[in-house]
Amino acid sequence: MLTVELGYYGLFVALLASAWASVASLLATVGRERGLQQSAERSLLASFGFIVLAALCLEVGFLTNDFRLDYVFHYSSIAQPLPYKIGALWGGQSGSLLLWVLILAGMSALVLATNRAKNRALMPVVTAVLGVVVTFFLVLLNFVESPFTLGPARGDGVGLNPQLKNYWMMIHPPCLYLGYVGFTVPFAFAISALANRRSGDLWFRTTRRWTLFSWFFLGTGILMGSYWAYIELGWGGYWAWDPVENASLMPWLTATAFLHSVMIQEKKGMLKIWNVLLVILTFSLSIFGTFLTRSGIISSVHAFATSNIGPAFGVFLGVVFFGALALMILRLPDLRSEARLESVVSRESSFLFNNLVLVGIAATVLFLTTFPMLSEMTTGRKVTMGPPIFNLVNIPWALFLLFLTGVGPLIAWRKATASHLRRNFLFPAAAGAWVLLGLFFLAPRAYLSGFGELFRSLASLDVAGAFERLKIFYPALTFSLGAFVLGTVGLEFKRGIHARRVQHGESVATALARLVWRNKRRYGGYVVHVGIVLIFFGIAGSSAYKKEAVQEMSPGEVFEVDGYQMRYDGYHLDAMDDHLGAVTEVSLFQDGRRVASLEAEQRFHPNMVFPELRDAFLRAKSLSGGDPAVYQSAVARLYPLIRELEQGAGREVKTPSTEVAIHASLSPFAPTRFGEDFYLTPLWVDPQSGRASFRVFVNPMVNFIWFGAFVLVLGAHLAVLPDPRERKRLTATIALEERAVA
Amino acid sequence: MRRRAILVLLAFLALAGARAAGDEAFQREFDYATRTILCDCGCSPQSVHDCACGRAEEMRNEIAAAIREGKTGAQVVDGYVARYGEKIRVAPTASGFNLLAWLGPGVALLLGILASVLILRRWKRRSATEEAAAPVTPPAEDDPYVARLREQLKEYE
Repeated sequence: MLTVELGYYGLFVALLASAWASVASLLATVGRERGLQQSAERSLLASFGFIVLAALCLEVGFLTNDFRLDYVFHYSSIAQPLPYKIGALWGGQSGSLLLWVLILAGMSALVLATNRAKNRALMPVVTAVLGVVVTFFLVLLNFVESPFTLGPARGDGVGLNPQLKNYWMMIHPPCLYLGYVGFTVPFAFAISALANRRSGDLWFRTTRRWTLFSWFFLGTGILMGSYWAYIELGWGGYWAWDPVENASLMPWLTATAFLHSVMIQEKKGMLKIWNVLLVILTFSLSIFGTFLTRSGIISSVHAFATSNIGPAFGVFLGVVFFGALALMILRLPDLRSEARLESVVSRESSFLFNNLVLVGIAATVLFLTTFPMLSEMTTGRKVTMGPPIFNLVNIPWALFLLFLTGVGPLIAWRKATASHLRRNFLFPAAAGAWVLLGLFFLAPRAYLSGFGELFRSLASLDVAGAFERLKIFYPALTFSLGAFVLGTVGLEFKRGIHARRVQHGESVATALARLVWRNKRRYGGYVVHVGIVLIFFGIAGSSAYKKEAVQEMSPGEVFEVDGYQMRYDGYHLDAMDDHLGAVTEVSLFQDGRRVASLEAEQRFHPNMVFPELRDAFLRAKSLSGGDPAVYQSAVARLYPLIRELEQGAGREVKTPSTEVAIHASLSPFAPTRFGEDFYLTPLWVDPQSGRASFRVFVNPMVNFIWFGAFVLVLGAHLAVLPDPRERKRLTATIALEERAVA
Repeated sequence: MRRRAILVLLAFLALAGARAAGDEAFQREFDYATRTILCDCGCSPQSVHDCACGRAEEMRNEIAAAIREGKTGAQVVDGYVARYGEKIRVAPTASGFNLLAWLGPGVALLLGILASVLILRRWKRRSATEEAAAPVTPPAEDDPYVARLREQLKEYE
């Protein structure tokens, strides 16, 4: 078909255009030639157009089941539902790279369009940086990992990995990529500011919303990924410290640090070097994240696609990071701080600690993720870095961060006096202390013996033991620090509302609305803090008080776990879309009252490349809706067929997966259970007798994570809304800069 | 007769108690082993206890059988380490070179905090001496337009 050729050559033309954009804009910086810069901007736009064309061509390949295309063959099949055909674009390596560059080129076009009349001095280098990054990805797509590689004509495809066939999995990668890619824009402006020796406020004021946007999408991308893991992977958890999860967390942490420290530069002209460094780090870590996800250098659940782009990425990453660092060092004199610090007890220093901890956690995660390589190089021993060590090493610092979240907003800029501290911190600190005391008196003996064991471990130099003993204190500390932070945020709102009521005589509601509306950035930030506290609560509750059990049951049996009675009512077999499965029907009771009926499914996704299996599967599927008995027995016959084929082929001819059933307790009348999930997944189901092995988790408070995510989204939206005050600041900064140049 | 009945009852209770204790010991050793050993399914680094794949189910059965034979959890773990090497532990032991991973980040962050405090104090000293040396009036703007812009900027802060 013509679309394949169109896509293939489209990518090539896009490469030529973006390469020219990089060269021409670089020449424009030297020659100050207006025409060259115009040509560069136009070719970057053209490049975007051709990338869109290529992406559309690949989508057409998916929609028309063009299995000559290797990429379509591997990630789609005829039976694959339509949304997953469309989403299969980012199911594998080259398609993901294509999506990356598509987003980046789109953002570049937007940057060019919005800066047509301003920032003219910065634009040539900005265009060059964007152009070079686009060109790098297009080189990979053209010469290393083409999505348009053709193979023999094939009747049907392998299909997308079943675990990826999930609504959240379809939107999680694009969301994450929006975040990763978005950081290219502040990075390009930072580099341009350095290169042009205009390292004032302009670059970050211009890119403030870009940074917030990317931070937001990376954050929600991570949360969506956790949610996907929780409802899809069936192990009852949401975060496994998988290398690729870590790779997305690291740039998010450094970006969070940047969002805070940039405020100090705005207000005080301090930390200029640090801010540039943070942007360089964030962008480099984004590239590193893509590199980890896509190169398979560290084996991981996310390595759904692995191949040979590792070396190219390594070189690019090195050039980006060390090149940017060298430029920064060259420009150090420009970045001298105008700083003066009046007191160590001030918001400036609390922000400095906040940055230290955020970057420290990012560095810890990086260090632990790469430790297996370090260990192998130094001692020759291979080790595994699983969740326990990440949790134990990071939790103390996360708690310190939570503490600083409370301190930051309330401590004064410049200098906090004793009376100021008393006025601001008395109420929140009391709230935290009450929660801590309350939790202590709930189980005083446990905490006291915990202390004893901790000291014994410390005395015997048992490091792992000491970390382990600390665990019992974390939930109480989290809840108490969380109460402290909520107290500080509450106080901020209360004071603001009070001031407005006194000044303007407004009602509480009006005062609140106007307060937030007039200071979107500040109060949006506070709302984000509340979201973070809720997420901390959810993590603490669900990891400390989680209950779990494994039970084999036959239909009709009842099993009791942590106050829930589950009755295994029965099961039916099903052949749908591209899978067959045993659906177990379970009734859930609490205190004799039926609270939910659950359906958890054990699925097999047959490999359609085996014609026998394919035909039998399609036959069974076609019987659906007819005589139930005939249909059930047709599906049941697929199981022995699969076993037989597997014995013959000597390998698996199906991919198993489970559909989890979750009952969330959200009733306000059962406060101790509020936010709790009853989480049920079948380990196996016998298709003949229906005997099944169930794995059950009771996850207290886990829903607070998703509530927190929702609040976080709300806060971030507030902060990113257009704000006339921010616009005036930006216009004034631009005017100041233009004047300085003239 | 009655004494015999009591004796039988006591024996029964003792047996049940022993069995419960046995169950408890089994669960303790089983938990220790399954939470320490890595599932070798090759997905994400998850312990046999947590992993949701079919391979984890097989490994759980293997480990349960070994413990029923009378091995302790630690012995089962040692057996796996002897067979597959250190990497079969879901996290490295806190000893030798691995201590760097366990303690390094904490030490580094503490040093970071110390360094920050020192830097902050130096900044403070510097601004104190600068303030003493510098004239109190801000440097005069030669361009009135720029001066006005600066004023405006200040207002918005």
